[in-house]
Amino acid sequence: MSLVHWYLLIAAALWGIGCYGLIRGPELLRRIIALNLMGAAVFLVMVTLAARTEPADGVLHALVLTGLVVAVSATAFALALVARTLSEQA
Amino acid sequence: MNFALAAALLPLLAAVLALCWRRQAAWLVWLSTLFSLLLALAALWQVVTAGPTTMQLGGWQTGLAIRWQLNELSALLLLMTALIHSLVASYSLSQWRAAGLSADFWPLSALLQAALSSLFLSVDLFNWYVTLELLGLAAVALVLLSGKKALQAAMRYLLLSLAASLCYLLGVALLYGHYGWLDVPQLAVAISEHPVDHRLALWLITAGLMLKAALWPLHIWLPAAHAAAPAPVSALLSALVVKGPLFMLYMIWSQLAGPELVVTGSWLFLLTGSMALLAGGWSALRTPYAKVMVAYSTVAQLGYGLLALGLMLQLSDPVFTQALFLFVLAHALAKTSTFLAVGEMQLRLGGKRLSTFRGASQTMPLAMFAVAVAGGSLIGLPPSGGFVAKWHLLLPLWQHSQLWWLLPVILAGTLLSAAYIFRLVVLAFNRAKPVSPDFAPALLPQWLALLPALLVWMLAFASGALLSWLGG
Amino acid sequence: MSGDFWFDALLGVLLLVLALATIQARQLAAAVMLYVVFGLMLALAWARLGAADLALAEAAIGAGLTGALLFSALARQPKSITPPVRAGKMAPLAALMLCISMGTVLGWTLWQLPLQPAHSQLPAALEQLGSSGTEHLVTAVLLNFRAWDTLLELLVLLLALLGTRLVAAPEPAALQHWPLARQWSIRLLPLLVLVAFFVLWRGATAPGGAFQAGALLAAALVVLRLNGQLPMLSFGAWWVRALILAGVLAFLLAGLLSLWLNWQPEQAVQWLSWPLPLAKGLILLIELCATLAIGLTLTLLVVGERKELTA
Repeated sequence: MSLVHWYLLIAAALWGIGCYGLIRGPELLRRIIALNLMGAAVFLVMVTLAARTEPADGVLHALVLTGLVVAVSATAFALALVARTLSEQA
Repeated sequence: MNFALAAALLPLLAAVLALCWRRQAAWLVWLSTLFSLLLALAALWQVVTAGPTTMQLGGWQTGLAIRWQLNELSALLLLMTALIHSLVASYSLSQWRAAGLSADFWPLSALLQAALSSLFLSVDLFNWYVTLELLGLAAVALVLLSGKKALQAAMRYLLLSLAASLCYLLGVALLYGHYGWLDVPQLAVAISEHPVDHRLALWLITAGLMLKAALWPLHIWLPAAHAAAPAPVSALLSALVVKGPLFMLYMIWSQLAGPELVVTGSWLFLLTGSMALLAGGWSALRTPYAKVMVAYSTVAQLGYGLLALGLMLQLSDPVFTQALFLFVLAHALAKTSTFLAVGEMQLRLGGKRLSTFRGASQTMPLAMFAVAVAGGSLIGLPPSGGFVAKWHLLLPLWQHSQLWWLLPVILAGTLLSAAYIFRLVVLAFNRAKPVSPDFAPALLPQWLALLPALLVWMLAFASGALLSWLGG
Repeated sequence: MSGDFWFDALLGVLLLVLALATIQARQLAAAVMLYVVFGLMLALAWARLGAADLALAEAAIGAGLTGALLFSALARQPKSITPPVRAGKMAPLAALMLCISMGTVLGWTLWQLPLQPAHSQLPAALEQLGSSGTEHLVTAVLLNFRAWDTLLELLVLLLALLGTRLVAAPEPAALQHWPLARQWSIRLLPLLVLVAFFVLWRGATAPGGAFQAGALLAAALVVLRLNGQLPMLSFGAWWVRALILAGVLAFLLAGLLSLWLNWQPEQAVQWLSWPLPLAKGLILLIELCATLAIGLTLTLLVVGERKELTA
């Protein structure tokens, strides 16, 4: 099994774990962490696909970097909402 | 392409300026929507006279750069975005302080317009992902303008939207893994030359986009978000935000799906479209809250779009593309008018339930008239824009007898929409609840709410031109 | 079996175990800590796959800043009552079967992907690298070939800040400032700033760039703020807004400048097409402004300011 195949399988498993976490929760914070796991799975797929060529495909790396920043922005927003929701409930 | 580029950049510039000079934010953004409307009209004129153009951003070769495509369809959608934004901005300018709308509305709505314009012009899969995220975050922030009551709805919308974006991105990654292209036209060429089984990629992309476009059965977030949001935001959500992913769905399925996959996809869209019509219409009929009713009406009307898309994929007839985008245009205008009028009435009469509207024909006749006129287009009464769209959906069906079962579905959908519109209008003609002696709601917002409804009825006059532009 | 094989096998399994543990951990604080470790292991995996820029970015942004955001959200939760938790509506077994089948289908599809890509943008990109104004491919893609994506991405970051300000989560409980931490942060500050600008400068020729540098700056500012050594940064202050908008403004101004310089009558304008002699300078300027913008925006996202949410 090559490096590429191994990490692709890991990414698939990570996606499944992330989906499970998102569906089950139960806390909102855990759901957001699960979303980040799903994001990590997608980025791992992209980076592994970039590793198929020698040298690694920098275009895909740039796309993943964009995706990372977008994911962090969305996470920050979601966490602010969670914090406010929980303080309203209490 | 110059005008289209300017039309996309102007709201971006306005948003940045609105954040710097916050006291003039409202005027800045309102002016920018008007100017972008003129620029979008110029872009449409340019396409009609000089033909479609493409632009590689940065000047690099295809595939390396992001490509923007300006044809009749994208020019019309750009125009629709600018038009709806200028209508909503004008309405908001006339009453935002009275309604208690936060000043943060202005830069956020300008960013929303920039995101949408960029989405409609682009044909790059990864660029679509970034614009989709921009669109989603802007929409959630706009919903939150209502304050604490919007928290739950906004939270659910945000989480679902993020999951949908990730599904979409995973699908794009799979497609890139197979073919190595992000540029949609080039990807279509690569697929036709060396087709590979990329079903999962397309299903993932479809799942993500259907959730973002609130297409049945992934529409759950829409009614709550609409009910919680301020009226201008609900108008923007229903009219524009859900249309972006719908456009992407059309572009991707019409260009990137192989022959067997197209058949499966078409059946999916036909079935979900039918369910959207029936379930959405039924839910609209049963809810006691006004804005939730209008929100479910959106879910139902999007069913027509799904049917048009499914029929186009199955029968490969360009008339269904015309029907799809005529629906998009007519629904955008009609829904804007409905939400603005209902919002204005809720504000002045004070209440969220449908029972608040009892006697509105005496207390706020202008706004009620707007709802009735817009509702006529939603039902599909001739000669409104909604009727033209539905006509182009139904007419070819006569020739394809194997799809006869769609006719009763569409009939049922029309009857349901007539029922919930009449429900509201009839209520307005009941005896009015007593109002205070100094009850004098401002007329300008009501006129501005009526304007889109009048426009959608005038759409029939432009239908010849629209059909030729969309059919090409 | 070579050492490489064992390293990758172990790293992969570790990633999965950490992910599972994050989902299943009973205490949220434990889940967050496990997620930070997961992020660092992921950075290792990416370094292993030849993505040095991403390893830097993931360690700084994905593990570091996201961890800080998560802890910050945890800290803002009122500790008084255990908040009512709504367990997922789907039965655990059904969810498990669904996710296992999804993972299997995905894994099978990924397995089918060709090991030698049919086509990739890499050759074209390498070919054009010389005329892009920078020697590092990732920087060239981000700030030249696909600059529009980067501009939109800076807007996403800005939008996240605007949205977070709307929500105005309550200020976390006042900390007892730890003297050792305060001493450390004063000494770390110049080091972090130096490293940040070094990473920015290096981005032109080697892995690095505006995002990683911005994250490092944000780390420095967040630590200072948490230690009470930095006054509250208010969005209302004009200089704060100017810095936050600096990245987008730099992009727009550079775009308009190149539009004007590339102007040829009777031809369509070129948007975000840097003229060759100016490309290096424009890219550096944009990266500098973007670094400041990203640093300040990320700081405000982690240690927000107080604002009342209107009901």
